[in-house]
Amino acid sequence: MNTGLNRTKWEPYIWLLPSLLLISIFVVFPILIVFKLSFSEISKAGVIGGFVGFDNYVEAVHLPAFKTVMLNTLWWVLSVVVLSTVLGFIIAMVLNQKFRGRKIARSILVFPWATSLVIQASVWNYIIKYEYGNLNNVLLNLGIIQQAINWRSSYQIEFVWECWVGIFVTVPFVTFCVLSGLQSIDDSLYEAAIMDGAGFWDKLRHVTLPMVKPSLTVSTVLNIIYVFNSFPIVYTMTKGAPAHKTDTMITYLYMLSFYERKKGPATALSVIGFLILCLCAGIYMISVMRKEEQL
Amino acid sequence: MRFPEVKQQNRKMLILFLAGLILTLILMSLPLYSFDIGIYTKKSANTFVGDEKYQTVRAEVEEVAEDYRAQGFDVEIQESVLERVNSKGKTTSLVTFTVAQRYSRNLFSFLGKGFPSSTVLAAMLVLMLLALILELAGLKGTDDLLPRYLDKRTARLRSGAIAALVLALLLVPVFILMNNVFFFRRLSLYSAGLITEGKDIFFARLDRFFFDGQMGENAEEALAGLKINHSPMLWLMMLTLFVSFVAAISLRHGEIKSGLLRGALYVFVVIVCLITLYPYYVMTITAFRSNAETLDMYFLHMTPTKWLWSNLTDIVQRGVPRYLLNSLFVAGGATALAMLCGIPAAYAMARMNFVGKKAFLGFVIMSQMFSPVVLLIGISQLMNTLHLNNTLWGLMLINAAFNQAFAIWLLRGTFVSISSEMEQAAMIDGCGTVGALLKVLLPVSAPGIVTALIFVFINAWNEYTIATVLISTAQNRPITVGITQFSSFNMIEWQYMFAASLLATIPVVILFMSIEKHLTAGLTSGGVKG
Amino acid sequence: MKKKIFALFLIVALMVCMVPAAFAADDEITLDVIICQYGPNTNDWFLGKGMDGSNFVEKFEAANPGIKLNLDVVSWNDVYTEVDTRIANNNAPDILNIDVFANYANEGLLMPVKDYCPDDLFEDFFPSFIEQSVIDDTVWAVPDLASARALFYNVDILKEVGVEVPTTWAELQDVSQAIIDFYDGEIYPWGIDMTTDEGQAAFAYYTWGNGGGFVDEKGEWAVNSPENVEAIEYAISLIEDGYTNPNPATQTRYDLQDMFAAGKLAMLIAPNQLPTYVADKGGEINMATAGLPANEGKTSSSVGVMDRVMAFKDEAAPDQEARNEAIGKFLKFFYDPENYVGWVSMEGFLPAVNSAVEALVKADPSFEAWLDVLGGCQFYPAAKAEWDQVKQGVIAAEQNALTGADVQAELDALQAELTK
Repeated sequence: MNTGLNRTKWEPYIWLLPSLLLISIFVVFPILIVFKLSFSEISKAGVIGGFVGFDNYVEAVHLPAFKTVMLNTLWWVLSVVVLSTVLGFIIAMVLNQKFRGRKIARSILVFPWATSLVIQASVWNYIIKYEYGNLNNVLLNLGIIQQAINWRSSYQIEFVWECWVGIFVTVPFVTFCVLSGLQSIDDSLYEAAIMDGAGFWDKLRHVTLPMVKPSLTVSTVLNIIYVFNSFPIVYTMTKGAPAHKTDTMITYLYMLSFYERKKGPATALSVIGFLILCLCAGIYMISVMRKEEQL
Repeated sequence: MRFPEVKQQNRKMLILFLAGLILTLILMSLPLYSFDIGIYTKKSANTFVGDEKYQTVRAEVEEVAEDYRAQGFDVEIQESVLERVNSKGKTTSLVTFTVAQRYSRNLFSFLGKGFPSSTVLAAMLVLMLLALILELAGLKGTDDLLPRYLDKRTARLRSGAIAALVLALLLVPVFILMNNVFFFRRLSLYSAGLITEGKDIFFARLDRFFFDGQMGENAEEALAGLKINHSPMLWLMMLTLFVSFVAAISLRHGEIKSGLLRGALYVFVVIVCLITLYPYYVMTITAFRSNAETLDMYFLHMTPTKWLWSNLTDIVQRGVPRYLLNSLFVAGGATALAMLCGIPAAYAMARMNFVGKKAFLGFVIMSQMFSPVVLLIGISQLMNTLHLNNTLWGLMLINAAFNQAFAIWLLRGTFVSISSEMEQAAMIDGCGTVGALLKVLLPVSAPGIVTALIFVFINAWNEYTIATVLISTAQNRPITVGITQFSSFNMIEWQYMFAASLLATIPVVILFMSIEKHLTAGLTSGGVKG
Repeated sequence: MKKKIFALFLIVALMVCMVPAAFAADDEITLDVIICQYGPNTNDWFLGKGMDGSNFVEKFEAANPGIKLNLDVVSWNDVYTEVDTRIANNNAPDILNIDVFANYANEGLLMPVKDYCPDDLFEDFFPSFIEQSVIDDTVWAVPDLASARALFYNVDILKEVGVEVPTTWAELQDVSQAIIDFYDGEIYPWGIDMTTDEGQAAFAYYTWGNGGGFVDEKGEWAVNSPENVEAIEYAISLIEDGYTNPNPATQTRYDLQDMFAAGKLAMLIAPNQLPTYVADKGGEINMATAGLPANEGKTSSSVGVMDRVMAFKDEAAPDQEARNEAIGKFLKFFYDPENYVGWVSMEGFLPAVNSAVEALVKADPSFEAWLDVLGGCQFYPAAKAEWDQVKQGVIAAEQNALTGADVQAELDALQAELTK
């Protein structure tokens, strides 16, 4: 990977400096504060008290909704990340073909990504309302259904809807990451593959996948983090009702902190979440990086 | 170059083509629609299916039905059961028997009746005829030519046949939907008294369709219990037309596979686009509704009865332009800053070897692992210290910092995927590292850079949580926070919320579309230079 | 070396951005005020052009030179977040308008009302309201407005079905069944809101109607009393019998009010501004009010909800006396009938001061009846320190019960946590 030209030892660090400064000041400093808070006593109103050791962590793990919320989070991250990666990849492959209207299709596809999550969640919240939602309106007026359907009759179904909105807003990101990878593939590679008699699947496995792998890695790691930390969808659509059964970790600790005013455990929970994320993303990253280096 | 075997193959396909059309016509002439009109109803309370009371009533109703049959009516008995558990745990049940007269109709009988579906059906027939004519004209005298040797005119004729068939194919579900809407939805709206407009014409038409106009004034009453049943066989029409469609493709392209693939591609793209656009359709139509119409609980209107452009002026009055400008400032600034810091870092990560490279990557990724929601207290403390509370600058810096990881990772991925040979050549030519980066690498990696740029911009544009806490005066609100004023304690004003949302979405979409053009341009120019 | 210059430039750019933005002038007092957004016009009234072409801040600053207002109107969704975050950073607002106060008072963050509130204004508040903000014989907050809840019903629907307004729980079930039968389930007889926003209100409606409640006679928490369990089980039975809106855990008060405005809901318990709401939504509902239904042999009591204004301590303020005086001036200006009457009637709430009553009754005679209702209202025990926890606790219990959990067990667990 090294260009082999003479560089001084410290040169790379100058290149990194601006970014390093920006992150350290505006992200790492607040993170350190959160770590400190997780070991401090915090009053209901938010006044920060003294050191209490691991009390907050113990309390957090013993919260009655802890298990439900952890499972929900797992489902949420898995379903949204996996499904949107698969869908996004397929769509990117299709959009990379040359066909009439491709530009329009690409512009349309960026819409969900260009819209704020709060708005997106509100719109879907409106769409699936039973009494006046637009989905019922359209289906009824087109004669596809003859009776309004209660689209959110149980919390399980509502959770599925939340996952759907999550997928809906995540797919464009994956698509464009993969597309940017696909576009940097030289056509000659495909031509060579075709010369060798490669079929669709061979091309996919030996040319496309290796070439988009860096972009796909980025999008997957970022998506894991991004989806795990996603807040507005669940908060707007159900607020975790009934009784945290549709909460993910982030919305749960928000409710815990600002509604139930258990700020200590909420902070501890956020550190726990951070550690889990570090673990997952870290393992993924290291394994991918190792393979990359072998190339 | 004429081939007898091509002629033979084409003849086979033509037969298939004709067979599809003929089968469709046969299906159309079958009585696939049946309508039940209730002529006698008997309700029986506290009756459970199968019990003694049920048997007696059932027998009674059978008798009535027999009477009608004796008079030559085609009737059948329908029953519906309404079961309910009351709070004392007792189940009540109400059985309703209806003796209904059955009217069967084939599709041709819908023609010329003035229903919306009549027009659709007519259009379908015309298209089928058109396809036939075009195909025959396209085959005449050239039926032994390989498709790739066809002259332009003939090729167009054969393509026209495909297009006409596709349209006809798509009209099948439209026809079925329209019948549902007309015979069920409109009728139920009229009988519930929810709409009255056009009622007389509506019933006059139905009267003509069912009773040859005999009922007159009584049509409304007679049709009160109308039920529509369409046979699943109707959907076979799509299949038969599809057979013709495949044959037409084969006649145009010689092989079916590529034509089908292309068709599938379009279908896929259209479906994806439709699903994607659906929420925006909802947003748009709701943005122009009146407050009352946003809550259309009887589902009377699919689109606003009156397009209220005043909703837009209302939200302008309530500060939305100011919020948009704030957002633009914050997101634009954050993007610029994030790229300025991110590109050098990504470059170093991709092209240089140094101690702590992995550590830096880990550090960058780690910085993303806390949700802003969690960091609120820390961020707000920091901003107090820096005296940046309630300023757009503060918001800009935070957004830039939070998007560093995204920017660096995306850019690194792009840089790595590009071979470093060109830069090395440039450097040998006397460019410095900076020169090589600016002149060689950046143009070539334009797509990746644009993706990163858009990503950061959109993220910053959409950031909500930090802004609510950091910004505490109206004139500094970004649009995401500004929108919350439309969902207050007393009511949600869906129409304003969605109008503002539209305004918030449009700039980003425009930005994307304009950059998309440069993206392709950047690509080719980079290629040419290379 | 181009690259060094480049890097240097970036660092400088970063630093420039961080230069402190502005400092306030020193002879002025600036008050940080947070107001909750009650309705669509709140923002406009305080900050826009909603107050006779001007706004509250401009008018106040013109009338009180030397005092600047840094006023923010915050939506109810975000206000707890914003306030708590600011408290955590020792940056609490000077004046806050919100519903809860007990935690702030208990943690010594608030100033006693007598420190800043002018005596004549203090006398003006309804005494029964002031009582709701007392902890340890000290008044910590003043009421800004109130609303009273009553049973609203659609007169036409009940007439058509041929039933009277229910006064007992048994009657409510009968009436609901009659409405279901008559309309084949097209119209919901009864509205219930057990959402995370307002589920505590449902708890109050049913438990108070059964002689229970959040606290016992001694004022101690008693959420798991037999009366409460019976009441919540009754409410859940209404939902299970299909007498109510289908999704009570996520259908908020707005949804219920919207259904009522569209004639899809026959009865609901709602605040006094429902008629205005319905009219705004273009609904033409022939509606009337009645008392809340209670269990056989029990009497119902109306439910009142009140929000408050409070002032936070600021040890760092250079001149405490001047600051207190400024806060007093703010309150004086806010409660001045000339300003206050317009605000209360715009928001559709009930006033908290005597001086506003006359003008309000003159503008809308129906206010008088509501003021009577308000006189007999019971309020949430918001002065108790654990109120937040109880509020979320009863909501969670209701929502768990909706998904099949045992009411008794849920409430026992909550009570155990409270008395721990």
